Amino acid sequence: MNPFTFSRRAFLGRAANGLGHAALSSMLLPSLAKLARGGQPDEMNMAAFRTIAPKAKRVIYLFQSGGPSHVDLFDGKDVLKKLHGSDLPASVRGDQRVTGMTSGQASFPVVQPIAPGKLCGPSGAWISDLLPYTQKIAGEICIIRSMHTEAINHDPAITLINTGSMQLGNASAGAWVSYGLGTDNSNLPAYMVLISQGTGKNPDQPIFSRLWGSGFLPSQHQGVILRAGADPVLYLENPNGVSREQRRSQLDDLEKLNHHFAQEVGDPETLARIHAYEMAFRMQASVPELTDLSGESQSTFELYGPESRKPGTYAANCLLARRLAERGVRFVQLFHRGWDQHIAITRQLPNQCRDTDQASAALILDLKQRGLLEDTLVIWGGEFGRTIFSQGKLDAPGAGRDHHGRCFSIWMAGAGVKAGAVVGETDDFCWNITQDPHHIRDLNATLLHQLGLDHHRLTYPYRGLDQKLTGVEPAKIIAKALA
Amino acid sequence: MTLRLALTLSLSFATHSAHAAEPLSFNRDIRPIFSKTCFSCHGPDAAAVKGGLRLDIREMALKGGESGQAAIVPGEPSKSLMVSRMQSKDPDDVMPPPEAHLNFTPRDAELLTRWIAEGAKYEGHWSFAPPLKSPIPKMADATGAIDAFVAARLKSEGMKFSPEADRHTLIRRVAFDLSGLPPSPEEVQTFLSDTSPQAYQSMVERYLASPRFGEHFASTWLDAARYADTNGYSIDGGRQQWIWRDWVIHSFNSNQPYDQFLTDQIAGDLIPGASEQQVVATGFSRNHAITHEGGTIPEENLVNYCADRVKTTSETFLGLTLACAQCHDHKYDPLSQREYYQFYAFFNTLGDAGLAGDRGINAAPTLHAASALANPEEEKQVRADLAKLRKSLATAIPAAQDAWETAQRERLAKRGKNFSQIPLKVISATAPNGSPERIKIQADNRIEIAGGDFSAYNILTRLPEEGPPISGIRIVFSGTEASKGKLGFGSAKGLEGNFHLGSLTSSVSSFPATNIDLNAILPISQLSASSTQEGFDIHNILHSDPLVGWAPATGSKGPQHLTATFTHELDRQTNPFLTVEILFNYGSNCSPASFQVFGISGSDDNSPHPQAITEILLTESTARSQEQTSQLRDYFHGIAPEKSTVRHQIKNLEERVSMLTEKHSLLVMDTAKQPRKTHILDRGVYSSPLEEVSPGTPAVLPPLSLEPDSFRERPANRLDLARWMTRADNPLTSRVAVNRLWEHFFGRAISASSADLGSQGQWPSHPELLDWLAVDFRENAWDRKRLIRLILHSKTYRQSSKTTPALLAQDPGNERLGRGPRFRLSAEQIRDQALAVSGLLVERLGGPSVRPYQPGDLWRQVSHYGSSPATSQTFVQDHGEKLYRRSLYTYWKRTLPPTNLSVFDAPNREICSIGRLPTNTPLQALVTLNDPQFVEAARAFALRILKTPSPDESSRLAAAFSHITSRPASHAELKILTQALTRERSHFANHPQAARDLLAIGEASSDDNIPHAEQAAWTQLAATLLNLSEVITRQ
Repeated sequence: MNPFTFSRRAFLGRAANGLGHAALSSMLLPSLAKLARGGQPDEMNMAAFRTIAPKAKRVIYLFQSGGPSHVDLFDGKDVLKKLHGSDLPASVRGDQRVTGMTSGQASFPVVQPIAPGKLCGPSGAWISDLLPYTQKIAGEICIIRSMHTEAINHDPAITLINTGSMQLGNASAGAWVSYGLGTDNSNLPAYMVLISQGTGKNPDQPIFSRLWGSGFLPSQHQGVILRAGADPVLYLENPNGVSREQRRSQLDDLEKLNHHFAQEVGDPETLARIHAYEMAFRMQASVPELTDLSGESQSTFELYGPESRKPGTYAANCLLARRLAERGVRFVQLFHRGWDQHIAITRQLPNQCRDTDQASAALILDLKQRGLLEDTLVIWGGEFGRTIFSQGKLDAPGAGRDHHGRCFSIWMAGAGVKAGAVVGETDDFCWNITQDPHHIRDLNATLLHQLGLDHHRLTYPYRGLDQKLTGVEPAKIIAKALA
Repeated sequence: MTLRLALTLSLSFATHSAHAAEPLSFNRDIRPIFSKTCFSCHGPDAAAVKGGLRLDIREMALKGGESGQAAIVPGEPSKSLMVSRMQSKDPDDVMPPPEAHLNFTPRDAELLTRWIAEGAKYEGHWSFAPPLKSPIPKMADATGAIDAFVAARLKSEGMKFSPEADRHTLIRRVAFDLSGLPPSPEEVQTFLSDTSPQAYQSMVERYLASPRFGEHFASTWLDAARYADTNGYSIDGGRQQWIWRDWVIHSFNSNQPYDQFLTDQIAGDLIPGASEQQVVATGFSRNHAITHEGGTIPEENLVNYCADRVKTTSETFLGLTLACAQCHDHKYDPLSQREYYQFYAFFNTLGDAGLAGDRGINAAPTLHAASALANPEEEKQVRADLAKLRKSLATAIPAAQDAWETAQRERLAKRGKNFSQIPLKVISATAPNGSPERIKIQADNRIEIAGGDFSAYNILTRLPEEGPPISGIRIVFSGTEASKGKLGFGSAKGLEGNFHLGSLTSSVSSFPATNIDLNAILPISQLSASSTQEGFDIHNILHSDPLVGWAPATGSKGPQHLTATFTHELDRQTNPFLTVEILFNYGSNCSPASFQVFGISGSDDNSPHPQAITEILLTESTARSQEQTSQLRDYFHGIAPEKSTVRHQIKNLEERVSMLTEKHSLLVMDTAKQPRKTHILDRGVYSSPLEEVSPGTPAVLPPLSLEPDSFRERPANRLDLARWMTRADNPLTSRVAVNRLWEHFFGRAISASSADLGSQGQWPSHPELLDWLAVDFRENAWDRKRLIRLILHSKTYRQSSKTTPALLAQDPGNERLGRGPRFRLSAEQIRDQALAVSGLLVERLGGPSVRPYQPGDLWRQVSHYGSSPATSQTFVQDHGEKLYRRSLYTYWKRTLPPTNLSVFDAPNREICSIGRLPTNTPLQALVTLNDPQFVEAARAFALRILKTPSPDESSRLAAAFSHITSRPASHAELKILTQALTRERSHFANHPQAARDLLAIGEASSDDNIPHAEQAAWTQLAATLLNLSEVITRQ
């Protein structure tokens, strides 16, 4: 027998012990993993996590960083017209912590939504006129108005929603999914991240690689940034002066030399490395093919809006998200910055909406027309909402809204999501949840659930604990949002 | 053998566990099952105990819970409730219950049943019992303790040692393990030709004595100590902490005993008569992330910082996951929440602030201290080098200067051609912070600011539909009433009444975007200023560094302006909106009073040079005064590309002199005048204090003081803690230290979970050996190099790592150590190796962190640039020798760690991180093949090889191969390489431009005396060698 089929198996045995079973099916070594399983899926390992029939094959997470105002965008109410300017009653405010930015304010005047809205879709969901395209897809999405989080500042809040904990060091949702499900395309990473700058605010709140990091999971699960421009994945391009043909020959040389070595000393890791180099070579072709939008039709660009032709914009990233979904990338996460409207909300918020509205809606329509929506879960949302009260003087052009975690709105669409539904309600002041509260743990549990992963069972042993994306507090599936 | 059989074999031998014949051991066989499956409901966390049953204490298990029935009846599994519940098919009855999502494997059930049948003997957790030296087994094939214990286990499982590795492999292994670098060809040669019996020993001693030793060991320590150069959290501004890193390197190099290494870091400041360096060492407890995000609650942050100290200290030194007890009693180990806060109390007495560290100013408490690595001999050398470099900078380069002057005169002659200034309509002018009302747009499109500021202004304008083409912008600054007619509000020395513009960024858009499009920044081809304050040249604004910028002449009468010409005229049909961002982060209110943005058409009517220089340029060279001639020459030398290497090196060496001679700030520990009180926090929440606690250590471990009443008069402090940690009866400290040192050399620790020796940790592969080493280490004054020698001289370490299918099947993870260890090199080693073999590596010890090549400006894409005076919001690359320092000196930004290191599993250093999980991914291949750092190294290696005299090409190839691999090439390998070289040479001969392009990568020079095709072909060959699996593997 060939000793190296042996070694591969042993290598994978080690990987299975050291890296967690799910790593077997990751981008690391799909075909070797397959080989080691004798061509059969690793039923026992996968069964441990995958106890649910999956609705989604992949996720596109349109993360709106900074805290989009639920009051202005999805949770407006008629009664606020009357309440505008009145002080937020202490009975409603309760013992809610407010941030150091407004805790010193003498009054907390209620501010009605900065723009009118319409009741849209089959459930008559209120959606702001700042989001005309989203209004039109109300029948395709499910708005959840009753999300809540205990974090009230950006770093802890955005870390909590993306990694399941406010503490540093945990793995991001995308990394968990990569770990749990691996990839459907061995020429692209399982988890890709696209970043765009908001045009509403100067500058945006910072974001950081922890949000797409692998934390305690093996590092191959971290999100890979897809950048605008010539080198979309870091170090993707051959050095100047080195052609693809030369690289091919070079890799052939490497493979021969590596085989000599592997045979001499019996190193299965070297075989894995040969494989990784081949994958890198294929990525050098597959990524430029992915980011080349020249084959997209005029009507597609029209659907996503004029900004979609400009590399690095949210609109362009939405279009890329569709292309990534088509290519089987498991988890695509967009980060659009600039939703932190402490000041000048009347000037800033319309720009943020303009950045995102048409392209977000276009993505849903485009996925649908291509038959991809049914197995793609799309999520739109940020780390918290914003206060009903004015930060700064009422009605001043410089006024804005502070952070608010007791309730905020997100929407989901696609794979198994109840299209056109609205989940949850808040009080007249968009301050407290009155119906169907859902912690962001529930959102993460639901995300995994749609992918066929049981959030109780998707665990990774680290520092003495079986770590989970949803942490130690109970989490529940957002059943009313599911068809 | 079939594959199936191989798998079965490998699985059945995968763990060290009981043979049917020998009795079960509670710690080895049973505790892991209990811990994994039972303890979360029937373990140490009193609040979580279900049904009143605890299984972690024998008496309680025998007594049973609320049912009143014994869970365990020793010797009688059939009467034990635990067994029947375990076997039950009733979902309401079965243990563990379905909702726990846990289960017993058939083997677990079998072991538990057998253990009860054997009498259900309990043992205290192994790592909490004091280590003892067991008698060293007498083995035929082993002498020292290490080999004897390893041989004993090998023998018991029918295995034996592998033969010793060959010398090439050995020296490479030792060199990487001790210095983190490959052996040089000379070192290999010396070792190979040393026929004395002490050859190996001398070789080991050479590496132990090398200053590279401390750097390499420090590298691992930085992960555990979560060392970084930025504060972390969201804004992640810069900090200075490298003085602490220098201390760590020095500690390893001077072989400081481990107990002192520990004590200095935990409590150096409390040691009576503490030296400056002992206080420096306490930076360990301040390496944690610190936030200054506006709006965060200081008390909450302080809890996070202190919790991080507890986590880091307990994992790093004690191998305890004490952090698990922050919110409730530990689920698996006998550590209560109260004990957590008692431990926390040791680290909660310093005078730190909840929000701190902005503006690049270290968060208090801080110390200014000298580097432990400062060395007068180096200072002398550096000063001498500096003198030479300054001389070299002053050396005239007449040909280059003539050419430059001619070009400048031509340029100046075109000044103002078709020039016009086009007013732009302002739509908005915004700043990130403060009241927007401070910013007023006047009717004439001038923008007036009410007072001094520290942030960026974004000016959104509409371009006129008609008129001449727009080729750039001019910003005119003027005084206002608010500024008493001065240009700005500055109070900084030399900039009184002035402003300091740090950077200028512009972009265009199809709609009114108030923010800059970072993906489409308009490139600038020329910059000019109406006047310049000395030292604040206009070209400084091309750097994103907020502290390096332009100021007009302080005290200027009347308006001043800057003019930026773009590389292309603006297309205002497609993108009629222009956004300009000007940054004023200098501090001291150095921001402008009023400004207006104009478009320009035609050629700038200003000179890109300061006025005096422009005048000299326009004077015939014969008519210049001597002073003018030297002024122009100095100016030219300050900007000439021909002098850039010298300029960079002068700057780098000036910084080095400062590192060697001055004191620098770092974060340290202290004791506040009124230390905070520590309370148990309900569920770990900062705002839910319960009762107050005083400093103390967990009861499961020996008492903090052996004398009762020690802490009646005063509370215990960190020094008491350090003394307790290093006391002979502390069962953890020395075990953790030797276990981790073992991991360094074998890739796998004796107890594989080297950060957790608790209940959930791994049973040691060689428990007697671990204990023997732990005692021996302590008995021998915690001498680290002695322990290293012990390991390196063992047969166990010196074995060949060659792997056969039989060995793999028997012991896939090499737990039994029947062969030498093999693992991939670390991120730092891979980069450092490329630098070392290429000859580019600059072996300076210690000093501030450096910023080598990194693609684009990833930092700015995610940062708070423009809003906050925090530093390190944009990436500014270093030059010269700072590109070639060892990787442990690479600037570590926590929110975006060095890209070419994190791909190779380097952590982000936000928290304590012990042991890296090696992965093997395509992104790694892209780094070593395409990263300019590696391409340049290949290029420099090629040059090095080509410049080394060699009789013929095949000798040269053989030399190149053995230089990189430390072994001779085989005939087959040489054949492949020869063919590759021929192929590449002919390719580059036919593509001369491609060769030039390749040779232009990186700042290191190439050699025009060697044909470009030759250099390029060898560069490719070197890249192939640097990418060999063998080369990035330590075996």
